[in-house]
Amino acid sequence: MTNRLRFIGRWQRLTLSLWALCLLAFILADTEIIALEPWNELGRMLSGVLTPDFFATEQLIDALWQTVSFALLGVGLGLIIGVPLSLVYHHPIVAALCAFIRAIHEIFWALLFLQLFGLSPVTGILALALPYGTTFARVFHDILCQAPKVTYASLPYGSDAVSRWLYGKVAHVLPQLLAYVRYRFECALRSSAVLGFVGMPTLGFHLESAFKQGHYSEGAALLILFIALIGTLPYWCKKALLPLYFIAALWFLPPVANIDSQLIWRFVSEDIWPQAIRDWQLGELGLAAALGQSASWAFELLQTQALEGIGATLVLAFAALGLTHLLVCLLLPLGYTALIGRIGAGAQRFGLLLARSVPEYILAFVFMLLFGPSMLPAILALGVHNAGLIAFLSGKNIKDSGLETEGCRGLDGFGYQVLPRIYPGMMALLFYRFEVILRETAILGMLGVATLGFYIDSNFSEIRFSGALLLMGVTAMLNVAVDAIARRVMGEQLRQPQRC
Amino acid sequence: MLLQLQHLTLGYADREIIHDLSVSFKAGEKVAILGVSGAGKSTLLNHIHGQLASVSALCAQSQGLVESLSLYHNIYMGALARHNALYNIANLITPFTSRLAEVSALCDALELDMPPSQLVSRLSGGQRQRVAIGRALYQQKPLFLGDEPVSALDPAMADRVLELIIARHETVIMVLHNRAQALAHFDRILGIADGRLTLDSPANKLSLAELDEFYAQASPDQVDVSGYVAGDLPSNVRGDGA
Repeated sequence: MTNRLRFIGRWQRLTLSLWALCLLAFILADTEIIALEPWNELGRMLSGVLTPDFFATEQLIDALWQTVSFALLGVGLGLIIGVPLSLVYHHPIVAALCAFIRAIHEIFWALLFLQLFGLSPVTGILALALPYGTTFARVFHDILCQAPKVTYASLPYGSDAVSRWLYGKVAHVLPQLLAYVRYRFECALRSSAVLGFVGMPTLGFHLESAFKQGHYSEGAALLILFIALIGTLPYWCKKALLPLYFIAALWFLPPVANIDSQLIWRFVSEDIWPQAIRDWQLGELGLAAALGQSASWAFELLQTQALEGIGATLVLAFAALGLTHLLVCLLLPLGYTALIGRIGAGAQRFGLLLARSVPEYILAFVFMLLFGPSMLPAILALGVHNAGLIAFLSGKNIKDSGLETEGCRGLDGFGYQVLPRIYPGMMALLFYRFEVILRETAILGMLGVATLGFYIDSNFSEIRFSGALLLMGVTAMLNVAVDAIARRVMGEQLRQPQRC
Repeated sequence: MLLQLQHLTLGYADREIIHDLSVSFKAGEKVAILGVSGAGKSTLLNHIHGQLASVSALCAQSQGLVESLSLYHNIYMGALARHNALYNIANLITPFTSRLAEVSALCDALELDMPPSQLVSRLSGGQRQRVAIGRALYQQKPLFLGDEPVSALDPAMADRVLELIIARHETVIMVLHNRAQALAHFDRILGIADGRLTLDSPANKLSLAELDEFYAQASPDQVDVSGYVAGDLPSNVRGDGA
């Protein structure tokens, strides 16, 4: 028996502890199924999907274009922010600042900028560019760190620093950098659509109103167009066409309303501060009393909303993580052509496209109709969506490894050669996605699942900006902490931040 | 005198690799360094490169090829120091015709007969080695430092490439495994065993048998088998038979 236990290596231990933790979260989560007689509504939904109405709104094309344009400009500005930051990312302060900024979901940034700039494109583009730019900073830094250093020795003495850096380092990882930008652009399309849920004129706006009002034919049409948009990305997103798209995106930008500097100043100087501080500003309260009252206000907010929010967020995220892992393990072999055949693998790829293209929000909405309002729909939505993405990326790794064509056929080939090769990469992806899952619980908060996102959203809608900002800070700290733990689990803690 | 090393000791924190080694190199010499794996040859060569960086081109075992760049760009990298950063960036976007002609001529000399736009990730082991040599040649330095640069080439091609390297450099210091190549192309042979210089002799005073002896003494149970079979000897070996 002890001899057998020795075969339980690092990855098996990691997997088993992950399952245990996620099972615990699932037990803790409120997963009661409340039958709501959903069949009537589901039937209408299904008939909507079968009879998509592409002419329900005249804004369809406009919404589609706005979605693309926001994503393009958001990623563009994100690159302008992220590339220089990646060069100084080894500095702990830069790293911490970036971690904080990207820990806050696009939706929250949008909610925040909505107060400053109103429904202007600036809101949407900044909301995308800030978290994306800081993510670029970290990922580019990581990729550049992985570039082989051996080339420097073979460069001639006296080459200038820029040439050495470009030829000796960047050139090594340029394909990875470009692939990452491309992947992030796909993410940005989704994020851009999701920004519609808070009022930006993108697809999400029309999707949400269509689904909320029960106009499923219109909703289905929007969804189909969106999936087609993401599915055909390789065909329309060509390097040569990108400058053209950029010019078009800038040219056709909706008019930027005059930015009201007074409004911004009022927001910064008054709105975001707790009541007691404002009283002190007005001279109605002494400084000591104001600080004391603010402290007790913050303490109460943390106790009532933040703690419960953190609990619900973590339970939801872990349960979703476990489900994601299970689904990926099931879905991966189904995409292995040498195992399942061409047709089966094609069907799997289409399924993955659906799973990763439909925004979590819509998935959760459908699941909520089925299972009633609990945490279960949110867990399912996050699990399905992220499993779709991870299985898609891992499937690409299988393809790139060339194992499929090397004759590793059947379940033996998959189990002995493919899985051991890609499992570490898949787990790294899973842990990275955990950070994303944690952020995405924000969107589900908008659907009423009592995560931190729910409390932030309610604070914003009750115009309690001070509370919203405090909770956003808490959210960011939580994400940073979880990210640090995840990195530790993956054994990265020994690596000192290095300059690349 | 190009370089004089006296009582050189090199190593990492926990392990000494070169012990108290003294040797000097003169300009114009063609020196082969022999020794079993792990004897400290590469460490010595890297040290020499560190001392003579400004006049030498290093062709290291790790090659340092950039997979995602073309054959042309990988060889052009040898000329980075001859041009300014803007020129180099522009060349990265689209090659300059005059440079392309120079590199193509070099490719011909190295018998690399694929288009210069070919990505190096598509090349075979022997082709990659010649690209790495091409980069070092394109540096156009008086001193060539090579760490087993022709180990993946067939004997006939290795001979031609070694001749090319030697013809284009005033001084050559090269780590080799193949005794026959060392005798045929170099005029001085150094033997390193266990981090010490145990052999330093003009090549024409040595025979293959003596070199075999050296390898056998260096590490009785670790005789290098990658060398040669007696019949493979190039005709121009100057061994005096012994």
